[in-house]
Amino acid sequence: MTAQPLRSAQPLRVVLVGYGPVGARFVEGLLDTVEGGTVALTVVGAETDDAYNRVLLAEFAVGRSTRDRLETTDTAAARVAGVSIRLGEAAVGLDRVRQTVRLDTGDLLPYDRLVFATGARANIPTLEGLERSRRSRLEVSPSAERMDRGTAPLPDGVIALRDLRDAAALRTAIESRARLVVLGAGVLGIELALAAAEQGAEVVAVYHGDIPMARNLDTGGGRVLASAARRAGVVMAPHSRAESVLLRHDNTGRAHFDALVCADGKQIGGDLLVLSCGVSARTELAAAAQLTVSAGIVVDSMLRSWDDVNVFAIGDCAHIVERTDGDAARRGPGERPSSERAPAARIFGAPSGLIGPGWRQADWLAASLVREATTLAGPAAAAGAADAAAATSAALPSVLAAERPSVVMLKAEGVDIVSGGDYSADLWDDAHEVTQWADPARGSYVKLVTEGGVLTGFVSAGCPRLGAELTLLFESRGELPADRSSLLHLDGTGAAESVGSDPLAPHATVCWCNGVTVGRITEVVAEGQRTVECVGKATRAGTGCGGCKGRIAEIIALAAPVAAI
Amino acid sequence: MTLAGAPTGRPASVTIEGRMFPTNRGGLCKKGWTAAELLDAGDRIVHPLLRQPDGTFAEASWTEALDQVADRLADSRRRFGADSVGVFGGGGLTNEKAYQLGKFARLALGTSRIDYNGRFCMSSAAAAGNRAFGLDRGLPFAVEDLDSASTILVLGSNVAETMPPFIAHLAGARQAGGLIVVDPRRSATARLTDDGGGIHLQPTPGTDLVLLLGLTHIVISEGLADEQYLRSRTSGYDAVRTSTNAWWPERVQATTGVPVAQLREVARRLAGAGGSYILTGRGVEQHVDGTDTATAAINLALVLGLPGSSHSGYGTMTGQGNGQGGREHGQKCDQLPGYRKISDPDARAHVAAVWGVDPAVIPGPGVPAVELLGELGQPGGVRCLLVHGSNVVVSAPDVTAVRAGLTTLDLLVVCDFFFSETARFADVILPVTQWAEEEGTMTSLEGRVLRRRQAIEPPPGVRSELWILHELAVRLGAPSTFAVSPAEVFDELARASAGGIADYSGLSHTLLDTGIAAYWPFTPGSAGTPRLFLKTFAHPDGLARLVAVRPRRAVSEPLVGNTLTLLTGRLLEHYQSGAQTRRVPELQDARPAARLQIHPATASRLGIAENDAVLVSNTRGTVRVNAELTSAMRHDCVFLPFHYAGDECANLLTERAVDPISAMPEFKRTIVSVTRAGVLEVTG
Repeated sequence: MTAQPLRSAQPLRVVLVGYGPVGARFVEGLLDTVEGGTVALTVVGAETDDAYNRVLLAEFAVGRSTRDRLETTDTAAARVAGVSIRLGEAAVGLDRVRQTVRLDTGDLLPYDRLVFATGARANIPTLEGLERSRRSRLEVSPSAERMDRGTAPLPDGVIALRDLRDAAALRTAIESRARLVVLGAGVLGIELALAAAEQGAEVVAVYHGDIPMARNLDTGGGRVLASAARRAGVVMAPHSRAESVLLRHDNTGRAHFDALVCADGKQIGGDLLVLSCGVSARTELAAAAQLTVSAGIVVDSMLRSWDDVNVFAIGDCAHIVERTDGDAARRGPGERPSSERAPAARIFGAPSGLIGPGWRQADWLAASLVREATTLAGPAAAAGAADAAAATSAALPSVLAAERPSVVMLKAEGVDIVSGGDYSADLWDDAHEVTQWADPARGSYVKLVTEGGVLTGFVSAGCPRLGAELTLLFESRGELPADRSSLLHLDGTGAAESVGSDPLAPHATVCWCNGVTVGRITEVVAEGQRTVECVGKATRAGTGCGGCKGRIAEIIALAAPVAAI
Repeated sequence: MTLAGAPTGRPASVTIEGRMFPTNRGGLCKKGWTAAELLDAGDRIVHPLLRQPDGTFAEASWTEALDQVADRLADSRRRFGADSVGVFGGGGLTNEKAYQLGKFARLALGTSRIDYNGRFCMSSAAAAGNRAFGLDRGLPFAVEDLDSASTILVLGSNVAETMPPFIAHLAGARQAGGLIVVDPRRSATARLTDDGGGIHLQPTPGTDLVLLLGLTHIVISEGLADEQYLRSRTSGYDAVRTSTNAWWPERVQATTGVPVAQLREVARRLAGAGGSYILTGRGVEQHVDGTDTATAAINLALVLGLPGSSHSGYGTMTGQGNGQGGREHGQKCDQLPGYRKISDPDARAHVAAVWGVDPAVIPGPGVPAVELLGELGQPGGVRCLLVHGSNVVVSAPDVTAVRAGLTTLDLLVVCDFFFSETARFADVILPVTQWAEEEGTMTSLEGRVLRRRQAIEPPPGVRSELWILHELAVRLGAPSTFAVSPAEVFDELARASAGGIADYSGLSHTLLDTGIAAYWPFTPGSAGTPRLFLKTFAHPDGLARLVAVRPRRAVSEPLVGNTLTLLTGRLLEHYQSGAQTRRVPELQDARPAARLQIHPATASRLGIAENDAVLVSNTRGTVRVNAELTSAMRHDCVFLPFHYAGDECANLLTERAVDPISAMPEFKRTIVSVTRAGVLEVTG
């Protein structure tokens, strides 16, 4: 590394715990300042791999994509820029008074600002046979290796699709034509089931409710999805409350998944059980350091912990909510939260679990720290800082913009499902305007809920263009056309061609090059022009690209049938 | 096209015929067929005009007019420095005029302040082409190559209206079901995809870059990338792959409104059997991220292995008559002839030698068009402006500001053949020859140099711009020489371009008159270059460069109430600022006024019926036009043609924000509010 120019201040020491896609995005946002010497950044990642995109993990797992498609960042470039990236190591202790993070290797990392991007781990459901694999919620793991498991690893043949190792196991199973049992029919479970079925695997989707994706769809949408999934070859097993896992033991005594047993006594056998039962934020380290946690590490709209101005959280481990207890004064590090404060259970909301908001948080926090570090380093460094960084921080809003309710879209080829907002209003609800369309036989269903013409909730199943447009309208808070039925035309056979579709109507254009209409040609035919050439001379129709000469001949024949014979 | 009739007669005796030529195959559109009417249009200016103290214009002799212009320019230079004089050129000028204008600015005026209206047209595609290939030629292949393609992706071009004869070249792809048109409007071109001709993708405005990242993502993910080609002929692939990894199809759908299934279909189609071409137009280029968007289109083409083959490729379609040649020979603020960089010492030395001057007298880089117009009348800015072949008070963004700038000038000289909207602001109007009255060359979108021949005598009193520049140069005591004969100027241009990127050194008017198909680079003794890049690209390492681009976050205002996104563009009947086409009765009668295209459902929501008068406004201005209801529009946007002046001028609304690389203004994504005229606006 080149020598840093002399500066009055030391670099701002930032420690990032967690190196998933959100953590990696945060690193990218700080690269210029790390290179310029105003920030010293250390990253601790429990996985040994470089950050990768978990959103596409199922695609990779079923063999539809390659490993390099999961890369969204250039870790080598970050190292070259001077970021210290420690993979395969876990943060196991946090001392907020001394401002240090302790690693499983025993190393202590001092920080000025600590950022949690620890993400979330898969839930292990309470099933007989998996008890020892469940971990206690607040226990801080002693090592990177054991971060996400209980006292024992999951038995062979049971995975939760969360990391590359799980993906590798799934890939092997699909390649060997294994039968998959997917427990849980949330969006991730269904995506996996559909992707695996498309790759030719035998798949059973097991869920306890009436419809799949029950958290994101109403009954109509869920029904359409269930039949689409069946058509795609997935065996759907609704109303199935899983109770236990039957294991078989090979001759070395090693346990392997055999079947899932449901409350009604039904046994669903298979080679691989994929648990898709939701995720929980990794908050134990924060909790052990007396930071408020709820569904995630609780932070305000500047992504700062409620309890410590030097600690931040982003991505799946961040539970963003403004303080509600009226306690405006922030406690210093080491000071315990007062017992009078609202207990964690009463904090509303949860991390969205989506990548988009996570990336926006990473961008905002990185820009905010860039501004802080640049200011701290003084005018000399500020002048030397990259213009882009300066421009970014100048335009930076003081708090992170609140997210709209999320839009959830199923990733599956040929199955178009998208929903967003609150679509629960009844069709005859007085407070909302509700529009519904259903055509189950042809696999389409739409529900729109609007307030003052603006979409507040929607479900779209089997209508690809409409689903896409509704997403845009919802996110932009755009106003729907007064004629809601015009939206349905988007997926109609005539697309937007409801007007002027008759090619022989007088105003229909025949010659685009010269803007000549059917009416004009009919006129000159009536005047006696009876060949394409004559019509061309009289009107210029057909004298451009010539592509319309056939139609001109047709019009002549229709307008002057006798002459044409 | 060909003019028949008495060769030196006046237009009354002239008729137009199509000429069999590869680009148009003898076809002409309405604008071509009626072009002769311009030669005798009623308000043709046939004498120099000088503004009088009372604000009116009076005829003057050429000597009087030129003396006055030269005196005032020299005076400004003496008192305020050479950069107090600016030059604004045009992409419709012949190569000879464009070249001479650049030379005149640098040597006779000594100013760096020259740029041109091509900045509003081709600059983003040019910047992207230079960055990726090391060279910018609209189509690096002959236009006939398109005929045999089975897939053609057209992004943001309504070529069926802007250049109708061109659509014959799309016929093969339509036959194969492979014409793919990306346009927020269901334009005439988009309709060519009907009946099995192909696919129309209708993204929401301003999301083309994301759409292209998404298509590239799918190509790579589905194993359709040409890995062998990427290894042997390109650099930068790894970073582009990583950057597109973040744009999986569902995320792209959520941003663009284009369904995943369509995205996949298009990506697969492009990678399928048969030749594939990707063509961009102003719709994706005239944005503040236009260069990056064109780059994303080039990246997609490179990932598919298209450029530099005999049957596939990437190209951009030029907008103006000489949109290609006009951007090669020194009208650009940072450029010398032959597409050389004005900041490159070797380039300066070469051109200075041809001009017979010391390289040190050639000024450095100036500023691009929007910045140049922004300097008008500002302290230390431009005080005198010469305008050639451009109608800036209609065509530049935020024309209210441009109009204000023009009124603050010490001197505005406009060379035109009509009393254009810009000419109305002039202190001196110099009448010049138009197309059928002059000799010269133009360079087509495929880099083919074409001769323009004189068919008729200009009206007495009208002069060629080459003569005007010569006369002014003499009066200003300029170094070097300023030839008046187009053939002579071309020979000098050829020498100045020798060894440059756009190398014309093997060409002359005499050689072109033999009818050869001359594609540049054309060195002496060569046969020209119909297809570029077959073996190497123009960067020193011979490789094409993929450059990772990412969308800059746009804070989009909610489109509620009467807030909509305005797109601007062309109509079949008109051309550019309409200064010419609005003077042809047949064209003007067909489209006498600008109309606001709006979706019927959106119109009904806003209480607007067909032909209602509407106000389209934002903080910069208000346009008053009538509404045209058409389901070809998306619900969230409206369209205005940019050919009209006064209250109908679309550029009253556009803003001066520009692309950081190309300095292209944002023309295609302007937030406006639309109301029925006569309805009181209720605020708060």
